[in-house]
Amino acid sequence: MNNPATSHPFRLLLFTLLNLGCIYHAAPWPAVQAVLNAFLVLALAPEFRSILVGAFWAAMAGWVLEGTMRSYPHLGGTALGNLTTTILAAWTLAQWPTSARQAFLSRLAVLTVIHALLVHGAVRIACGPHPWGWGGWLLTLVTVPLWGTLAFKLHRPLHRR
Amino acid sequence: MRVRAWGWNPSGRRRWGILALWLGHVLWVFLGRNPVASWEKALGVLSRPSQIVSARLENWKYQRGQRAGNHQAAEAEIKALRQRVEYLQTTAIADIQKITEAEEAVRLLGLKRQLPLETRGARVIANLRNAPFGGLVLDQGEDIGLVPDQGVICPEGVVGRIWSVVFQQASVLPLDAFNASTAVMLARSRATGVLQGVAPGKAEIRYIGRQEAVQVGEPVFTSGLDRVFPRGLLVGYVTAVKPRDQELSLEVALAAPLDRVHLVLVLPAKPPMQIQPPSAPPPQLPVRGGK
Repeated sequence: MNNPATSHPFRLLLFTLLNLGCIYHAAPWPAVQAVLNAFLVLALAPEFRSILVGAFWAAMAGWVLEGTMRSYPHLGGTALGNLTTTILAAWTLAQWPTSARQAFLSRLAVLTVIHALLVHGAVRIACGPHPWGWGGWLLTLVTVPLWGTLAFKLHRPLHRR
Repeated sequence: MRVRAWGWNPSGRRRWGILALWLGHVLWVFLGRNPVASWEKALGVLSRPSQIVSARLENWKYQRGQRAGNHQAAEAEIKALRQRVEYLQTTAIADIQKITEAEEAVRLLGLKRQLPLETRGARVIANLRNAPFGGLVLDQGEDIGLVPDQGVICPEGVVGRIWSVVFQQASVLPLDAFNASTAVMLARSRATGVLQGVAPGKAEIRYIGRQEAVQVGEPVFTSGLDRVFPRGLLVGYVTAVKPRDQELSLEVALAAPLDRVHLVLVLPAKPPMQIQPPSAPPPQLPVRGGK
C-alpha cells in the first residue's frame, strides 16, 4: 500500500518529467507548448517541497523550450521568466494558502498573465521580440480552467506536504 | 535558539541557492545578444598563457619532426650518393684501361698522320722484356705481310724492330735488348753511332769519336743508316757521357715507355733514309665580314 506522503513527490517528479518531454516533443505546435510550459511552471514546480528544486525544474523547462525553438540568438529569457514566476507562485502559495478551487484558478490566471509578461520581457531583453507572439499565451489563459483543474487536483497545501 | 533565515543552515542554503540560480539567469539574460563574444574574449585572455605554451610546444615538435625528416632525407641522400660514387669508381676502374688505350690510339693516329709512310697499327698482346731474350709480342703477323726487321715505333719514340714473324703474331726486339743494334745520331753534332741495349729502358751508343762534344740531355734520333728506321725518329736522351780509349760511351734513356706501350705503328720494310714531313695546311684566309 502506497504511503501518500512518499508517493506525492515521486508522482510530482514523474509528472514533471513527462511534461518536460511533452514540451520537447510539442515543438511543432507552439501554442500547445506554451500551455504545457505554463502548466509546469505554475502547477507542478511550485508543488515541490523545496522551492529551489521547483525553480530548477522551471528553469529547465525554459531552457528545453527555447532549445527546441532554435531561433534565438541568445537563449535564457524563458528560463528566467519561468524561474521568477515559479518562485512567485510558490511564495503566494505559502503566504496565502487556499483550498477553494475558484480562488486557485483565479490566482493561476493572474500568475499566467504575470508569467507571460515576464517571459516576453526577459526574451525581449535577451534577444528581441518573442517569436511566438501573444497567441500561445492567450490560449494558455483561455485554457486555465482545463489545466488549472488538474493542477488543483495535484495541489497539496504546505502543511500536508 | 532562533534560526537565521539567510544563515548557513538548510533553509538558508536553499535561499542562497535560489538567489544564485535567479541571479545567474538574470545576469545571463542581461548580458545581451552577444555574450558569446564577451565570453570568448574573456576565455581567450584567460587561456592565452596556455595557448602560448601550447603553440611553442607544437612549434618545437614540428621543428623537431622537420629536423628528423631532414636528417633522414640527408642520410638517404648520402647513402645514395655513396652508392653512386662507388658505382662510378668501379666504372672508372673498369674504363681506365679503355681510356688509356683510346688516348694512346689517338696519339698513335696523330703520329701516323705525321709520317709520310705506309704504316700499320698493331696491339701489344704480351710484354716479355724481363724474360731472357724476351721481347714484345704483336697481334699482327704474316697475314698482313709483316716481315723481320721492320721498325716499330710509338708516339713517344722508337720501340724496336720486328724479330720474327708468324701467322697473326710477330715478336719485337726492343731497343734495350742486349742483342739489339740501332743506327742513331746525336741531335746537335749529327755524329752517328750504334745503339745497343744495356738494361731495361737504357741503352748505350757506341762508336762516337772522342772529339765529339756531347751534352747530357741531348736528344738522340735514328740516323736511317740501318734501313730499318728512317732518319729523325726520336730514340731517347743522353744521360751520361763516359770517355773510353778510342771513343765516347754514351748512356741513353729511351724515350719510348717500353713497360707500358700497348699500341704501336709498324713501319714498312726498308723505308727511305730521309722522309719529308707532310706540308703544313695553307693558312685560312679571313672571311670578309666574319668576326
